[in-house]
Amino acid sequence: MAKPRIEVLSNEEVIEVHVRSLNILNRVGVKVDHGEALKILHSIGADVDFSRGIVRIPEYIVKEALKKTPSCVRLYHRDGKQYTELYGWNTYFVVGSAAYYYIDLRTSEIRRPLSKDLADIAKVADYLSNTHIMSTSVVPADVPEIFADRWRMYVVIKSCSKPIDTGAFTIEGVPDAAKLMAAVIGEENIARKPFMIFAVCPSPPLRWSTLAIQNLIDCVKYGIPVHIIPMPQTGGTAPATLAGAIVQANVEFLAGLVIAQFTKPGAPLVYSGSPTVFDQRFATSCTGYVEVNLISAATSQLAKFYGIPSGSYTVVSDAKAVDAQSSLEASFGALISVLAGINMAIGLGMLMEENCISLVKLAIDDDIAGSALRFAKGIDVDVETIAEKVIEEVGPGGLFLKHRHTREWWKKQHFIPKLLDKRTTDMWRKSGSKDLNTIAKEYVEKILKEHKPEPLPPDIEKSLGEAMLGIAKKYGVEKLPEV
Amino acid sequence: MVFDKDVFLKELKEATIRGDPDEVIKMIKKVLEVGIDPLEVLEKALVVAVMELGDRWVNGEAFISDLIVAADAMKVGISILKNKITRTARGIGYRGRIVIGTVEGDIHDIGKSIVAALWEALGFEVIDLGVDVPPSRFVEAVKQYNPDIVGMSALLTTTMLKQRETIEAIKKAGLRDKVKIVIGGAPTTEEWAKEIGADGWAPDAISAVELVKKLMNID
Repeated sequence: MAKPRIEVLSNEEVIEVHVRSLNILNRVGVKVDHGEALKILHSIGADVDFSRGIVRIPEYIVKEALKKTPSCVRLYHRDGKQYTELYGWNTYFVVGSAAYYYIDLRTSEIRRPLSKDLADIAKVADYLSNTHIMSTSVVPADVPEIFADRWRMYVVIKSCSKPIDTGAFTIEGVPDAAKLMAAVIGEENIARKPFMIFAVCPSPPLRWSTLAIQNLIDCVKYGIPVHIIPMPQTGGTAPATLAGAIVQANVEFLAGLVIAQFTKPGAPLVYSGSPTVFDQRFATSCTGYVEVNLISAATSQLAKFYGIPSGSYTVVSDAKAVDAQSSLEASFGALISVLAGINMAIGLGMLMEENCISLVKLAIDDDIAGSALRFAKGIDVDVETIAEKVIEEVGPGGLFLKHRHTREWWKKQHFIPKLLDKRTTDMWRKSGSKDLNTIAKEYVEKILKEHKPEPLPPDIEKSLGEAMLGIAKKYGVEKLPEV
Repeated sequence: MVFDKDVFLKELKEATIRGDPDEVIKMIKKVLEVGIDPLEVLEKALVVAVMELGDRWVNGEAFISDLIVAADAMKVGISILKNKITRTARGIGYRGRIVIGTVEGDIHDIGKSIVAALWEALGFEVIDLGVDVPPSRFVEAVKQYNPDIVGMSALLTTTMLKQRETIEAIKKAGLRDKVKIVIGGAPTTEEWAKEIGADGWAPDAISAVELVKKLMNID
């Protein structure tokens, strides 16, 4: 069976990008704003200019680092039983992370999110069947900024049983996150059964910030998986040409990979990304341009060439409201993700150039994800599905409706969307002539009212609360806000 | 050949709009030879070129890369003309002076640089302190340049806190009433600007232009 797949680079072009990346790493180098990382790089034979923080990495070191990198990353649910395997051509859909704004479900107003909103997002993501990985999707405005990164994790862990994509905004972020993880699964299981994956982003062009490197090194030491997210902006912080943006992203990724693997061999990494088009007309970093999908498909090919899982922010939109644009940009991204074998297709629910989360978009995106996953399965062709015997039995002018074959196969062969309208026009009229946004909104309201995510066992709930309180106390907060 | 001043200024303006520094330098040397008033050159060719391009960009008709390159060409031209103009820097066609930088701990450059170019296009002299600028450097810059406005950018929720620290440092140095302070960057909000005592906030580059127009009473 031919699985539907796309490749946007030929094998020769993949090698060309790889070789050019090695050249740039070796000749231009990258700026690493981190003393410990510079020392590690120096000790393994890289050419380090300590005064400028520039590191030039020879090809043989990159090759050694690639050899040390695992080909599969497992993300567990917080119960430590189920897991998702980032590997091969499997695509898992991930809620977009760290938005600063939220679209109010009731009023559709764009506003700062509160902890309660994050808990709602977690609850809805917990329910949706094609949303495989939740994220610490918004930055709540009702807790001090200084520990908002860890507070997000706490809120999501409580309300959602699925794996969590997160990140730290602070140097203390990862060690504290490890405490939260230990409270849930035990310290010994942080590396064995990680239920969180951390986003770590280089700062284009060709630079790794102090914070990003510290987060990367800390995650690696704890054995927590990391997805490295190069963020080339075509014509802004990266070349305007797609191939140039891809090469630059690859250089930044490989530099991070070298630091990770020489900090601790076997560090679980995902080759992720969030390419954008820097719109020359408005100075905006757009995530929904179709060229973003070309870059994402190309870096997924590179990840496969290196034998490392892949990810990208593909299910995102630059629309400011949930509308045709937000759905068509998410649809292109979702479909291209499955076709390109991107393991983490990130951005469900996300609008406004990754700055905003909408529950209505999240619900619609879940249907989009389901449709894309169905497409990726392709067409089964065998004696049963080709149905020669059935066609013979029904014959010219007959009807398949009553046939046993129909009853057995119809539901197996089709993805049945939750929200997309397939009813008769009359049924649509009689139920209030509602558009997709209204239907999605009511669906979300129903989930919020009826869905009960599996609660944490009481002893774990207690130890998680204590761990979070311990973190908050460092910043003079003596009592945790209610969620 | 008769030297036609108007044609010449028009060509210089076009070279600036094209962002061609070599041509701008060549033409300005010629200006000094034939003895056109340098101030007139500045106002009628260099500044007007960038202001026009800035207006077109605000209307979505020009590309930001073209605007930034034109602003750079203008600056090259000004650097040559400066010595020939006897009036103070503020007199040479600038509407005022702005110091801009990305706050300490934050290395994001692009948003700040775009705003700087747009303010230049608005006719301001912009002193760009770069990225990862500590509060003490902002304080020094206020003393050194005596600007009308200080602009601070932050892209991270954590580095945003440095905007407050910087304002406090400027206050502590006794300079707060000498400058207007404006802030911007993805995580910032109008409420945040009020909370930390800034004089203005802009959610994006175009709003940053409007904000400065408002603060400096420009139509």
